[in-house]
Amino acid sequence: MRKGSIRHIVALLLALALVAAACGDDSADTTTATTAAPAATTTTQAADTTTTTEAPMACEATIGFIGPITGPVAFIGEVQNNWFDYAIDSFNAETGYDIQTVIGDNQFDPAQSGTIAAQFLDNSDIVATVGPAGSDQTDAAGAVFEAGDPNFTFISPSSTRIGITDKYNGMFRTVPSDTDQAPLAADFMIGEGAQKVFIVDDQSSYSVALADLVSAALEAGNVAVTRESVSQDVTDFSALVATIDADTDFIYLPWQVAANGQILSNQMVEQGKNAVIVGSDGMDSGDFTTPGSYVAGFAIDIATLPASAEVLAGFLAQYPDTNTFGPPVYVAAQVIYDAIVRVCAAGEVPDRANVQAEVRKTDLAETILGSPVSFKANGDLEVGQFFLFQIQDDGSKTLLP
Amino acid sequence: MEFFLQQTVNGVTLGSVYALLALGYSMVYGVLKLLNFAHGEVYMFGAFAGYGVLTVLGGASALSVPVWLAIVLMFLAAMATSSAIGVALERFAYRPLREATRIAPLISAIGASFFLQASALLMFTANSRTYDTPQLIEIQTGIALGPIRVWMVRILVIVSAVVLMILLTLWVNRTRLGKAVRAVSFDREAAAMMGIDVDKVIVVVFLIGSALAGIGGVMVGLVFGRIFHLMGFVAGLKAFTAAVVGGIGSIPGAMLGGLLIGLAEAYTTGYISSTFQNVIVFGLLIAVLLVRPSGLLGRPELVKV
Repeated sequence: MRKGSIRHIVALLLALALVAAACGDDSADTTTATTAAPAATTTTQAADTTTTTEAPMACEATIGFIGPITGPVAFIGEVQNNWFDYAIDSFNAETGYDIQTVIGDNQFDPAQSGTIAAQFLDNSDIVATVGPAGSDQTDAAGAVFEAGDPNFTFISPSSTRIGITDKYNGMFRTVPSDTDQAPLAADFMIGEGAQKVFIVDDQSSYSVALADLVSAALEAGNVAVTRESVSQDVTDFSALVATIDADTDFIYLPWQVAANGQILSNQMVEQGKNAVIVGSDGMDSGDFTTPGSYVAGFAIDIATLPASAEVLAGFLAQYPDTNTFGPPVYVAAQVIYDAIVRVCAAGEVPDRANVQAEVRKTDLAETILGSPVSFKANGDLEVGQFFLFQIQDDGSKTLLP
Repeated sequence: MEFFLQQTVNGVTLGSVYALLALGYSMVYGVLKLLNFAHGEVYMFGAFAGYGVLTVLGGASALSVPVWLAIVLMFLAAMATSSAIGVALERFAYRPLREATRIAPLISAIGASFFLQASALLMFTANSRTYDTPQLIEIQTGIALGPIRVWMVRILVIVSAVVLMILLTLWVNRTRLGKAVRAVSFDREAAAMMGIDVDKVIVVVFLIGSALAGIGGVMVGLVFGRIFHLMGFVAGLKAFTAAVVGGIGSIPGAMLGGLLIGLAEAYTTGYISSTFQNVIVFGLLIAVLLVRPSGLLGRPELVKV
């Protein structure tokens, strides 16, 4: 091949790459440094939720955020990112500090999570992190954090897998674990008189673990259970749907990609299958809207909590919408922020070790979630609860008693 | 019987999409003896092109034109986009390596596949998109096939795929350019000596194969709903499997292979378990290669000694 031809090819490839990058969405970046400037227009405070420590003159630190801002569950990551920014802006406005933030988009990919975790570890300014969201992603990041610095605190606002906090010294979470979610789903189905349940996991560790627990609970309740498994990359469930018996009462989907749940639901309608879908908290999204279905959630809609109204109003004044995945982020950010403030109040410079020590002492009597937040030794919430919602015709959710 | 019929419909629908993709693999291999591993990404871009048209027209819930027109426009956009990408691939990633060692274009194809995936990630982000087809065509619309009801969209996919395959077969067998394609696939050098513009024929093959892949992308979006930047990888592997099972280089083989793979997936899920789907499909590939290396309808390669 002539050298001139090679040059032309390389030049063209570079040009194409530049065009592609220019047309790209900025949210695909893996890390983006953002400055949490004090909010000029919004000063909000969760009722009785912040510490009353007098803020000293200066307090510098950086808090990281890892979430699926883009990817198959971007509906979670975008809202979580917004709540994170809103929280830090609000707290900076209250205290007058300028706590910085660094954002990492893991695209819901465990490998990306590990990469971002390594980047955050290398950044000595970052004293703690909110996130990641999913259990597999948290596991991947946790392994990196634990190996690099067990004092690095990361608070997941939505990882519910059982036992994950036991693995990592620095892990905490502002949501309950699946030890609470599994019995809720199983007891509901048994209470509704289920005789036959079809359970499909999506081959993620979160999903398989939850499916195992629910399956065991149902079988203990003399319910006939059929188990199946599909990859998250599958988009055709018609063959699987055809295997669902006509007299199946419920389909339990502990899935992380709610859009797949909607596809399965559509294909059930297509084939005339009437089983009712019960989804895990991963299905609690605007991508899954089948009326009459049920989804679990680790928090109730804070719009129903008067004490949280002001915070919510402030958030919605800046951002278009929210979902149940957002408020736990606010609380996670609050836990870290308060820890940093207490460290500064004690006259110390925030670092990973002293911030983690303060995080362990967290004792918030009331949060915007409507429940207190304090942590067990392993980082799990002392008090946690899952809720079950039924999806209505207009897409809204009704909390079941 | 009802269960078997339902799984058959499921398998034929999926198999139709695989067949369209496999045709592209087979046609390119026929003329270039090259496995175009970027073909799955061509299909993925077609799906996004169709989605783009749907969005411009107002989206599934607020379409500004009749549904049939929207679908036609989506197909046309997908064909144009995928063809352009396919032709560009041929010109810049494969043609310069035509006289190189056999492995060079293969590596280039793999590189092109990753390049296209990464480009799609930059352009569309990792967010998946949904065609939301039930808003276009209600799930309850369809025809009764014995005890089961088949959704209109599945009928559209199957019929479109069959019509396209028939048209392609007629084109290859009855037209001058089709004859040229067959000549080039038989013996490229001899075809060139007979005055056939080999470069032009190869471009046409990429154009048509890629257009079919683009249509396949829109079909997947319509039937199954969700499209994302990595969707071409697994589909490409399955289509490649279909092409090899049917006989790489054989157009009827690609069609047969696609249908077989689609049915194998459906029947495996139905009668064994969904977790065995890929085991069975790729096991079928290995079995065919061991028993009949040229594929079910492929021509054994004759070597002069």
